[in-house]
Amino acid sequence: MIIGIPKALIYWKRTHFWEEFFKSLGFEVLFSPVTNREIVEMGVRIADPETCFATKVYWGHLLWLDGKCDLIFVPRLKANNEKLEYCPKFFALPDLAKILVKTPILTETFDERKEKIKKTLVKLGKKLNKNSKEIQKAITDAFLNEEKEKQKQKQRFFKKILSKKPKIVLISHPYNLYDVYVNLRTKEKLERLGTQPLLINEVPVPIKKEIKPEQSDIIDFHWEFGKEIIEKIQEIFKYDIMGGIEISSFQCGCDGVIKEFVEQEFKKKKIPFLYIILDEHTGEAGLQTRLEAFIDTLH
Amino acid sequence: MEKPIVTFAGWGNYTIAFKSLLEGVGLEVIPPAKTNSKTIAEGAKMAPEMFCFPMKVTIGNYMPALRKGANTIFMTENVGGSCRQRYYGAIQEKVLKDNGWEINFVNLKVSPRQLYSKIKEISKASFWQMLRAIRFFFKKLILIERIEKMAQYYRPREVEKGTTDKLLFWFFLKLEELNKEKYFSGLKKEVLKRFSRIKIDKNKVLPKVALIGEIYTVTDSTINFEVEKKLGNEGMEVHREMELSYHLKKVIFPWKDWLIQRKINPYLKSTVGGHGRDAVYEMLHYVKKDFNGVVHLLPFGCMPEVTVRPILEKIHQESGIPFLSLSLDEQVAEAGINTRIEAFVDVVINHFKNKKT
Repeated sequence: MIIGIPKALIYWKRTHFWEEFFKSLGFEVLFSPVTNREIVEMGVRIADPETCFATKVYWGHLLWLDGKCDLIFVPRLKANNEKLEYCPKFFALPDLAKILVKTPILTETFDERKEKIKKTLVKLGKKLNKNSKEIQKAITDAFLNEEKEKQKQKQRFFKKILSKKPKIVLISHPYNLYDVYVNLRTKEKLERLGTQPLLINEVPVPIKKEIKPEQSDIIDFHWEFGKEIIEKIQEIFKYDIMGGIEISSFQCGCDGVIKEFVEQEFKKKKIPFLYIILDEHTGEAGLQTRLEAFIDTLH
Repeated sequence: MEKPIVTFAGWGNYTIAFKSLLEGVGLEVIPPAKTNSKTIAEGAKMAPEMFCFPMKVTIGNYMPALRKGANTIFMTENVGGSCRQRYYGAIQEKVLKDNGWEINFVNLKVSPRQLYSKIKEISKASFWQMLRAIRFFFKKLILIERIEKMAQYYRPREVEKGTTDKLLFWFFLKLEELNKEKYFSGLKKEVLKRFSRIKIDKNKVLPKVALIGEIYTVTDSTINFEVEKKLGNEGMEVHREMELSYHLKKVIFPWKDWLIQRKINPYLKSTVGGHGRDAVYEMLHYVKKDFNGVVHLLPFGCMPEVTVRPILEKIHQESGIPFLSLSLDEQVAEAGINTRIEAFVDVVINHFKNKKT
């Protein structure tokens, strides 16, 4: 049996987890290809015109998978292990996916306010007719694989930190940072301009202290990514950062909120800050000009 | 601290009730300005570009009151759980600060105890005074909603066009002036009497249209270009469930949410924040009741409503009920809305005739 995973949006939240989980259970995993123009166009055509660009891309990937596999995996992510919520648009993904494609959707609700993730994974495995022993093994494998990847990421980050080039931090959601078609190769462009881009979600956060930071003007987000971004920005300021670029997809409601506070932090530290909104009409030339102008302001 | 002069977030006709609530606890109140194109433009200029429309409108409403000397803003937030409404207070405070207004911002989280202690701290009103103010607030609120409902019934049936709207205008003006509870029942009797005097054609069978969607845009007629009135004047009986009391009931009795969830399970298995779930529920409800059309109102880019819109469209395709979705923001022009409503009215009338035969 082949399980399809759209390589967009929520896939990037846990890149090495799901593949390993399903493979260990003995399924074949089919990924949709790297985002390309065809996929984006497919998604844009079918999606609601006011939904965010990232979701439109996700629908494109979903449609590509339609008919090519037996099940498509679309989890319903609601709350993470810190009991913080995901974007409300994720809550309805499986329901909307059911409307769009004919292939059956494999889904499970991940709400850690109600039950632990391992329990949910067991439920998911039971849906696929596997016994508990196989499921337990798959869970350990998947978590191990994820942990390994995190270690690699950490090493990569410290290697980047050592570089002599001016460092620029890219702030966004993982699905904008890693999808090179969506972010129009911003990272590559910055490298070519002689800077060292750092991705915000690769910044290691020290083990949490129970005491809350004294700066009470920092807002307490109920979104996991909001809290993560604000926390990691505080962390990245400890390194020598030349500038910050926030990438946001058009009509992302959550970014409308987060951007205000991110910008505030950068202004407080007097570090140059650039805000880029991307959608299916964004041209590469326009982005290049803006990046070049931004780099000029750094010197 | 200097003496607080209070303004608050305006919300359609409910502004009247809110004003009497705050005045009742002994605060000096400057009501927010009525929404018009000028306040919307001012709010949109100040607010973050990507933010949702109601916040831009409320900022625009504060500004004239602030210029008149208000120094405290009451803002209810954290109403809808997962959506951006949670951050209205924080963002508005920041925006006003960036524009040079040092305002004391009072965020009322909707837990009754916090509400009580916050109001007490600012107004220093006694418990009984507060209770009386709340009772008066609810009296006004219920009357407003009742009169709005009556107008929905009378408007398409009136013999002389425009009498209902004239009466409504008179009533809201009188209600705003009314600040003593003892005169309240007199006004209530008067307005009901006047309503009963309107000549209507009782035997008329009319097409029924429902308004669903985001609570602020549905209930505030200044934002939705008076959709309700326009449809009523075209001879449609307009229904809507989404009102402030509906929301308050849901806050007080949370099991209402579970009942709603049970009914919409085939379409949506989770909350999406805000009133997204309710929109699906209402649509199904109206389809069941043989309505002839559904108008979905939302602010441009509203996260919950945009998420459920494909589901609403699916229900529309399955049941064949005419469906119109209007997203509103500061750039929408009235002429465009009018054209779309006119076209929609034609479709509704066709649907109505086909059903009758």
